[in-house]
Amino acid sequence: MTGFVSVPPAGSSANADDQRLAAACAAGDTRVFEDLYHRFGDKMKSIAWNHLGNVSDAEDAVQETFLKVHRAAKTYTGEASFATWLYRILVNTCYDVLRKRKRRLDDLPLEEEVESLTRTALTVDDAKRITLLKLLRELPEQRRSVFTLFEIEGLSHAEIGHILGITEGNSKWILFATKKELQEKWKRPQ
Amino acid sequence: MNINCSQLDDLLFDASPLAMETAARHANDCPACAEKLREWNELSTTAASLHATWDNDLLWPRIERALRDERRRSPLGRVRRYAAAAALLAVLGGPLYYALRVQVHETSFDNAILRSEAMDEVERAEHTHVAAIHRLERLAAPKLEEAESPLIVSYKEKLMLLDEAIAECQANIDRNRQNAHLRKQLLAMYSEKQQTLQDVLREDNHVSNQ
Repeated sequence: MTGFVSVPPAGSSANADDQRLAAACAAGDTRVFEDLYHRFGDKMKSIAWNHLGNVSDAEDAVQETFLKVHRAAKTYTGEASFATWLYRILVNTCYDVLRKRKRRLDDLPLEEEVESLTRTALTVDDAKRITLLKLLRELPEQRRSVFTLFEIEGLSHAEIGHILGITEGNSKWILFATKKELQEKWKRPQ
Repeated sequence: MNINCSQLDDLLFDASPLAMETAARHANDCPACAEKLREWNELSTTAASLHATWDNDLLWPRIERALRDERRRSPLGRVRRYAAAAALLAVLGGPLYYALRVQVHETSFDNAILRSEAMDEVERAEHTHVAAIHRLERLAAPKLEEAESPLIVSYKEKLMLLDEAIAECQANIDRNRQNAHLRKQLLAMYSEKQQTLQDVLREDNHVSNQ
């Protein structure tokens, strides 16, 4: 069994720590997974919730991501940071869930789900949040992901590029185009 | 830096702090661009509030259990389980094997003792038998040496053949002490010799009586 491996900060480029972390994950070191969960779990849950629209599916996706990380950790190449690789698996897991799901995302009850979340920004009223959520649900998968990862989760275009398998410039352009589209709809009464 | 309205989108696309500062400065003097910029920033502010958080103390234990199950199901996990089972078997099986081995050894040792005791008993009986036959031989020896009648000569030849057979059988028994078949043959030959010696002695009596 490997010794305890500390989790490097998110967003950093891949380094020897990331490789050790991947090795520890491949070996199934529970302490490393727990450390990953405490460090990235909140962001993972939020990314999953913003892709899937409900808490239950989001938690399932987070759990499935950890299992996939355990299975695939030995294939981690270090091209991106371990955290970025983790988010990439999570987003792909969310896409899988969406494809398997019979109901469309915009069929899910939104108001109750928003109510169940802890309010992080009391200055923004729920009506605006729900409006934006509804607009996001109408977006194509990739556009929604870029917007969510950049504007909601604060990831960089470089990280988003690694997660979605697109270039940094493409991520930037997609975000701009998406915000322009959302701005047009935002102006109209919902 | 002064910009015109058509350049606002370029600044929003750039989105760097300097570009956003330039856009804000232009918006101060342009109500239309100010409204666009307000909406743009409102989108970002509202989006930031969509970071979802909730507490679920049971989620990590659930993931931990799933990971444990996953390790058990994986081929590597199976190999590890087999290795653990093998190690357990080695730990528990070693003393068990040793105990069984000692028991088997003791059993075979006991059997060997019993067999050895039985052989000693048989050989003691044989020695007693042989001693008794030797006594008969001593009694019959004078008559056999004289061998006046053809019958006594015949008995003498028979006894000589029996002695040769007994010697050969005894030599085989010395090489394989526990061969019961040879023991039975030897016993049969001794019995025959005993019977023949008794016949010799009886013949002598018959001759004397005649």
